[in-house]
Amino acid sequence: MSFFGFGQSADIEITLDGAETRKTADIKSEDGKKERHLLYYDGETVSGKINISLRKAGKLEHQGVKVEFIGQIELYYDRGNHHEFTSLVKELARPGELTHNTVYTFEFANVEKPFESYTGSNVRLRYFLKVTIVRRLSDIVKELELVVHTLSSYPDMNNPIKMEVGIEDCLHIEFEYNKSKYHLKDVIVGKIYFLLVRIKIKHMEIAIIKRETTGSGPHTFTENETIAKYEIMDGAPVRGESIPIRVFLAGYDLAPTMRDINKKFSVRYYLNLVLMDEEDRRYFKQQEITLWRKGEKSRKSQTASPHMPSHLVSAETGFPQGAAQNGPPSVTPPVQSGQLPSANITNVEDAQAPIESMTREEGDGEGAKEVNSESN
Amino acid sequence: MPMTPAITGVEEQEKLLEDAIGVVKVQAFQMKHCLDKSKLMDALKHASTMLGELRTSLLSPKSYYELYMAITDELRHLELYLLDEFQKGRKVTDLYELVQYVGNIVPRLYLLITVGLVYIKTTPGLKRDLLRDLVEMCRGVQHPLRGLFLRNYLLQCTRNILPDVAEEDDEDGSVRDSIDFVLMNFAEMNKLWVRMQHQGHTRDRERREREREELRILVGTNLVRLSQLESVTLEKYKKLVLPGILEQVVSCRDAIAQEYLMECIIQVFPDEFHLQTLNAFLKSCAELQNGVNVKNIIISLIDRLAAFSQRSDGVGGPGSPNQVPGIPQDVKLFDVFSDQIAIIIQTRQDMPPEDIVSLQVALINLAHKCYPDRVNYVDKVLLTTVQIFQKQNVDKLEYNSAVSRELVRLMKIPVDNYKNILIVLKLEHFAPLLDYFDYEGRKLLAIYIITNILENETLIPTQEQVDAVLSMVSPLVQDQPDQPNIEEDPEDFAEEQGLLGRLIHHFKSETADQQYMILSAARKHFSAGGNKRIKYTLPPIVFQAYQLAFIYKGLKDQDEMWQKKCQKIFQFCHATITALMKAELAELPLRLFLQGAIAIGEIRFDNFEMVAYEFMSQAFSIYEDEISDSKAQLAAITLIIATFEQMSCFCEENAEPIRNQCVLYASKLLRKPDQCRGIATCSHIFWSGKSLATGGKEMQNRFKVLDCLRKGIRIASQCMDTSVQVQLYVELLNHYIYFYEKGNTTFTVDIVNQVIAKIKEELPNLEVSEETEQIQKHLANTLEHLRNRMESPEADGLSYQGLIL
Repeated sequence: MSFFGFGQSADIEITLDGAETRKTADIKSEDGKKERHLLYYDGETVSGKINISLRKAGKLEHQGVKVEFIGQIELYYDRGNHHEFTSLVKELARPGELTHNTVYTFEFANVEKPFESYTGSNVRLRYFLKVTIVRRLSDIVKELELVVHTLSSYPDMNNPIKMEVGIEDCLHIEFEYNKSKYHLKDVIVGKIYFLLVRIKIKHMEIAIIKRETTGSGPHTFTENETIAKYEIMDGAPVRGESIPIRVFLAGYDLAPTMRDINKKFSVRYYLNLVLMDEEDRRYFKQQEITLWRKGEKSRKSQTASPHMPSHLVSAETGFPQGAAQNGPPSVTPPVQSGQLPSANITNVEDAQAPIESMTREEGDGEGAKEVNSESN
Repeated sequence: MPMTPAITGVEEQEKLLEDAIGVVKVQAFQMKHCLDKSKLMDALKHASTMLGELRTSLLSPKSYYELYMAITDELRHLELYLLDEFQKGRKVTDLYELVQYVGNIVPRLYLLITVGLVYIKTTPGLKRDLLRDLVEMCRGVQHPLRGLFLRNYLLQCTRNILPDVAEEDDEDGSVRDSIDFVLMNFAEMNKLWVRMQHQGHTRDRERREREREELRILVGTNLVRLSQLESVTLEKYKKLVLPGILEQVVSCRDAIAQEYLMECIIQVFPDEFHLQTLNAFLKSCAELQNGVNVKNIIISLIDRLAAFSQRSDGVGGPGSPNQVPGIPQDVKLFDVFSDQIAIIIQTRQDMPPEDIVSLQVALINLAHKCYPDRVNYVDKVLLTTVQIFQKQNVDKLEYNSAVSRELVRLMKIPVDNYKNILIVLKLEHFAPLLDYFDYEGRKLLAIYIITNILENETLIPTQEQVDAVLSMVSPLVQDQPDQPNIEEDPEDFAEEQGLLGRLIHHFKSETADQQYMILSAARKHFSAGGNKRIKYTLPPIVFQAYQLAFIYKGLKDQDEMWQKKCQKIFQFCHATITALMKAELAELPLRLFLQGAIAIGEIRFDNFEMVAYEFMSQAFSIYEDEISDSKAQLAAITLIIATFEQMSCFCEENAEPIRNQCVLYASKLLRKPDQCRGIATCSHIFWSGKSLATGGKEMQNRFKVLDCLRKGIRIASQCMDTSVQVQLYVELLNHYIYFYEKGNTTFTVDIVNQVIAKIKEELPNLEVSEETEQIQKHLANTLEHLRNRMESPEADGLSYQGLIL
């Protein structure tokens, strides 16, 4: 703009207090690049200095200088409308003239930052500071992105997920994840117990699926993304076999579960247990887990005991050591569905049937993205 | 999941393996390169790619093994690097977590084990938990081949770090943890191994079983590892190790696994342990699958313990300082085995009878080796066997059937081991067991028993024992009701009967009276043998009897009754020989009578002359009645003459008729040459024959001798065949010379000259033939003899003057 001679005649620089010591965090920008910004938590004061330096000597006429703290949700399909859920304004200067470089201090004390920064495929939730020198023709604007992490405390209820699922006379398994709510550096520990195996299983994997839902009503968009695929079993088990699960979450790009953020979008996570048979048919069962972010301090306190890695299979999740029966699979009597203990009720979805059905999909190559049966 | 696709042939396997090894080499090189540059993350990435090759399903176990070896070899570099790093102070926990991000389970677990090992080495306090974690995580690989190798890698890596201390120690863990660890790994490996059997197509079964055979060592290594734990005491073995193994073995219900693993247990653990856990082990044997060859397992155990007992007995005697503790007093080895085998037989109804018998064989071996003095143990085994047969309603065991062969083995053991039939006879159930064989089988064993007696020169000293032995070998002694109606090979038959004949000479008692009883008992058996047998069996009896008579003669100072007894013996012999006569034998009784006559002549008990005369006359009557063949006649008469010539027990009254009879028979021979030879032979009884009248001196009746020889010449001259004639002349010439040299004064050089002249006259007329040559040779030798005499006359001065050669 400066080509036209009267372009930006002032530079705005925002310096946040404690920037040197404050932690930073990565976030994807809209075009997928990773950016690093300072990290704030809910309730933290955002303060700093705004340095306006004039390009050339002289004065700068303005209609006022203000700084805004904005939290907004951008839906990509609706570019025009940004939904601001937070917008705080501080007047820095009344309309007048700037004659020399000026430094303003500002402070948004104990700002409420209810949501986590998020960049998804259809939606973005961002926080930024916006300094505006209001002018008659074109305002001079400077924005500064902030990253916000929402910390949660330990969930009061964190029951294991335990469920018996299967396809009648074909495959019955019982799976157990040690919790239903995991923090982002957590470890999923669990096991799969095979009650009936009549198919030739090739391998089994656990996939972490992120499901982003935007919009509402008829304009709902759902996007599934497989964040991680993790093979947990190779080969064909027989009845009575139990397979350990241990998945470290820290290595994956995960964010906390977000439910109905400002009535605009949700991000949910699912563990998808997938069994593949030799005909490349896939049998899977999705189970929602809640991800939450844990405060750094508490995390440290947890790893304070250095001698016992928390990820070792604990004794409670171990299985009876007795030798399992090894007979040919065909000889095993079919498990009567009526005799099975009913599934644990802790799961969110319906648990009326003693055996939940799994989804079976004919082999059609990869099929990485499951068709969502629940969405309309 | 198919083990390996059936289509892949050898070439394709090689190709696949080559490709895989190629990838491994490249990745391993890059891994090492990164390690050199301390780029651990990249190194791990390459290691993971390299390990990815182990995910293949295309390789056969053999090729997979090669690949595995190549890869684990490379992993060693990583391990060494990590160990080095961590000793410098790098944090291992992170790495232990880090490697678990690998997406595929097979490479992930290999890396986890590698890192885990380093972790354990640098942080011993976590050993117990880490071992547990590793062995647990390996469950994720359920593919048999890949799982087996993965767990094998785990076992290999941990072999030097398994806690091996007895005390519970929270930090490092104790041997108990090691046992748990290996047992768990073992159970899982075994399950995978067994599972191979049930996967894939039935038509590939053979190949699958072959592949399983190739892989079994992987499973067995677990047991080896357990046996290498030094802190495993007997107590721990008994309470933890063995029950753990057995539970898995029994419950896996797979014949191949059960057979191999039971064998493994026997081989890898020390005998001292086995001795204390026999009951548990054998009880499990009873629970094995039907297809398992339990017999082999038990036999193998028995053999081992038997060898152990012998080894320990061998080193130093009891009380000596280097005595290895053998079978402890409180372990009733035999009883335990005996009971457990009985249970096994009972529970395994389908067990083939030959296997049952094999078990008994093993048992009997055990009894013999561990308790050589306990004959009753051996007998107990035999009894058990009899009972089993009874229970199974076995009637006859067909020769050369499997059962029969095993039973033969069983029966031979006591025979072989004791090397003394007398001990075998103490086994009450030996004979009843014999009865289960059919004719062929019984005969085979009979021969075996006899050969054993002969080889070991066992003497059988009582009548009862003789009775028993002969009943045992009855298939040789007499015809059997179940004997097949086939003509036996005469040579074999003769050989068998020959054995019996030799056996008789081993019936030897210390006392003469007892010996007599033995002989009569034996004869009772042999008489029933039928005509074809008695010619082999009765003569030895007769000879034994003759010998017995001589013994009595030797005892005459101690036994007043000896004369009576001798007489009885000869009556016995007479009857025996008569039995042979009834069997339409001629020559044999003839000879026996003659032999008897000589014996009588020498023993000279009361009445001996009469008895001898009877024997001689019997001989003559046989000659008259039974011998018709002219050659046989000549042989017989020659024999009679020779016998008589030796005897001196007759008074003239009896000798006279015998002599005459001899001459008579000789001259009555049908063929002239026979007559000639007979008469010539007769000449000797007149010369060197003895009688009571001559008081044991030769009678030397010169004229009679001359008569005989003249008669001979005359008869010879009547022969048509000049060849025979000349031959006879030469023979007669020899007789002449003999008597001349013996000093028969009626013989003059003239007579000799005449004979020689006659020969020389006829000799040129003979056609050239082999016979002629022989005659000439005979003559030449004779003349040579004379020439020698002439040239070096003896001192007593028989004159050869005037001899014309």
